[in-house]
Amino acid sequence: MFEKYKPINDKMYQVMDNKGNLILKDWKGSLSDKQLTQAYLDMLFERTADNMAVSFQRQGRMNTYPPNLGQEAIHIAVGKVLTADDWVVPAFRELGVYLAAGASLMEIFLYNKGNENGLKYINAPHLLPMSVPISTQLLHATGLGFSINYKKEKGVVFAFVGDGGTSEGDFHEALNFAAVWNTPVVFIIQNNQFAISLPVKQQTKSINLAVKGIAYGIPSLKVDGNDFLAMHDAVSYARKNAADGKGPFLIEAFTYRMGAHTTSDDPTKYRTKDEDNSWKEKDPLNRLKAFLTKKKLLKGIDEEKLVDEFKQKIEKEFEAAEHAPEYKLDEVFDSMYEQIPDELKRQKHAYESFLLYKEKVQ
Amino acid sequence: MQYLFKFPDIGEGLTEGKIFQWYVEKGQSVKAGDALVEMETDKVVADIPSPKAGVIVKTYGNIGDTVQVGDVLIELEIEGVAGSEAQAVAKEKPAPVTEHIVEEQNFGVVGKIEAAGDGAYLPSSGEGFVPVEEAAPKSRGKVLSTPVARAMAKDMGVDINLVKGTGPSGRVTKKDIEQYHNSKGYLSNAKQQPLPEFRPDVMIEAVPLTQIRKTIAKNMLRSKQSTAHMSAMDEVEVSELVALRDKYKLKYAEQQVKLSYLPFIIKAVTLALKAHPVLNAELDMENEQIIYKKYYNIGIAVDTPEGLVVPVIKDADSKSIIELSKELEDLGSRAQNRKLTLNELRTGSFTITNYGSIGGYFGIPVINYPQVAILGIGRITEKPVVKDNLIVIGKVLPISMSVDHRIVDGGEVGRFMNDLIGYLKDPISMFLE
Repeated sequence: MFEKYKPINDKMYQVMDNKGNLILKDWKGSLSDKQLTQAYLDMLFERTADNMAVSFQRQGRMNTYPPNLGQEAIHIAVGKVLTADDWVVPAFRELGVYLAAGASLMEIFLYNKGNENGLKYINAPHLLPMSVPISTQLLHATGLGFSINYKKEKGVVFAFVGDGGTSEGDFHEALNFAAVWNTPVVFIIQNNQFAISLPVKQQTKSINLAVKGIAYGIPSLKVDGNDFLAMHDAVSYARKNAADGKGPFLIEAFTYRMGAHTTSDDPTKYRTKDEDNSWKEKDPLNRLKAFLTKKKLLKGIDEEKLVDEFKQKIEKEFEAAEHAPEYKLDEVFDSMYEQIPDELKRQKHAYESFLLYKEKVQ
Repeated sequence: MQYLFKFPDIGEGLTEGKIFQWYVEKGQSVKAGDALVEMETDKVVADIPSPKAGVIVKTYGNIGDTVQVGDVLIELEIEGVAGSEAQAVAKEKPAPVTEHIVEEQNFGVVGKIEAAGDGAYLPSSGEGFVPVEEAAPKSRGKVLSTPVARAMAKDMGVDINLVKGTGPSGRVTKKDIEQYHNSKGYLSNAKQQPLPEFRPDVMIEAVPLTQIRKTIAKNMLRSKQSTAHMSAMDEVEVSELVALRDKYKLKYAEQQVKLSYLPFIIKAVTLALKAHPVLNAELDMENEQIIYKKYYNIGIAVDTPEGLVVPVIKDADSKSIIELSKELEDLGSRAQNRKLTLNELRTGSFTITNYGSIGGYFGIPVINYPQVAILGIGRITEKPVVKDNLIVIGKVLPISMSVDHRIVDGGEVGRFMNDLIGYLKDPISMFLE
């Protein structure tokens, strides 16, 4: 299906242009009109929640937050192919995927308010916690894939990493092992052009990031990450490939982080307005919207009203997070083992003693 | 009701920000999420959105003003309840605070960052209103404190929510609890020892300075302030010197001469000074010259009940060990009796302080200004030393020198000390030269 898009030729898989016109004239996707419309609304919901999360942080009601702005097509595309058997192994900028996997916004907000109970993901048993140590999660993903094979289970693993993460040793170890053991892992590099402030040009001398999979014998594809249709094709294919026992797949989702790295970052210090503006034309929401509008699929949808409804729902979720019980010290120690081992007991005691000491010196 | 919105930590660990521009003004209606103000911080320039819908009652600060995290930025009249109506509501509801406006929860880097000041948690209802009259003290929702302080308050039977915190962000500390506890008479059963009254008439004594103390004080300070002190220390294995002195001690005792180690050291110093004249010199800054002294007058620091005096052995280089011994004894006893003449205290060119006769190992002696070097002698101590590849018990003399680094370089001190150590290790060599 993607024979013409060899990473070595740096050819990127795209279905539509910036205006929502099909580039692949005889393209036929696997989603129904209704599913396509729903995908757009999901992207809209992710963006609304994401903007509000930034706003909550700015109001002093939440901690540091990594905005997803501009990368929603990748997340919703994965969300649309995800099954209950599949695993999601996040980096930390995949809001739409977490929601698709069953996490609640309340939990996500709770986590970003510093309460680890937000990682329990009551309705998303196959969603792993966010991983701030760059690329370490890919090894977990490969391990999960290995266990799926070993236990002869169904399902595939979707693992995320950023462009910066491809420079980590963990990335290469995970890819190598995943290929050698033919594990069902779909690696998705969200190449949003910046590792915080470091541009991809300074990250690697490779012509793109997809090409890195080739050396490990992993079929790899560079995809327009702002083109929902292209992304959906790619992840559908990769999922099927893995589920059919053909092993891992690597996708470079070529996108742009339209927001800051986190709420503590100011991107105007390291990139230009011109660059920002050039990517606004490729905004994934606008592109899918233009595509759907041409197909007259958005008739009867009052977007403004819908966003207001989204906002109310999101606000409710946030308030629920605000009123959640506090995180207790005990929970740091108590949740890993059924019976707390002696060494952890000792650490817990040491910490309690430290609190006592802190109190004394105060 | 009125709601105070405070400047949150919008970066990680910010303490302040500057007002870049205001988007709102008094009387303006805002929706939750509307931008209120643009703030410039060390990390980001960002719009601060309103957490509530309402009408702006007051904005705090002008463009360019620096605002601390936790300072009030805006006062809002929250929609729905206003004016007297709000007051009525406030009266009906159990006040979560006694005398302060409830502040919004405030988040920073990790976990809950307490709102500055009173720091009460935002309750799920009745938030942010201003009570019109003071009610009887009631517990606030929850004050800030550590688990240990809470446990302590519980043990003492103190309601921690009534304690005014003085710690960071109004945190209630152990001390606050203790003070509150004491102020409320919780301690009625405990024994309270009254502090002794401070009585200057019996607890201190003021003694006028003696002339000698004044001189010492002046000289010490002048030396430290006028020179560039530098010190060096070393150990000398003096078994041979000890043997030599032991050999002649009795013989001279018969002649009423008390033979100590000091004359040997003086002898060694004068020999070393001859090879390193800069240590027997003086710096004349006024005329920008170094004055080399062709005489070797060695001052000896003597501890007396009145204080330190430094009589001088003139031309020490030309005197025998026995002559030096006799003179030392004479000067020493007259120093104790304050019988020294002024002349005997003058014209020293180098000083030795033998604090080891009282105790001590190394020291950093103060140069006897305007001289440029002083040698400190510690107590001879038995220590393991390596001799001919064997660890044996050695007799170790610690020596400490201070020099005026303005004219005496480190290398010269080292060379001087090497010579000195050589003579003290092998005392016979002094008499061969």
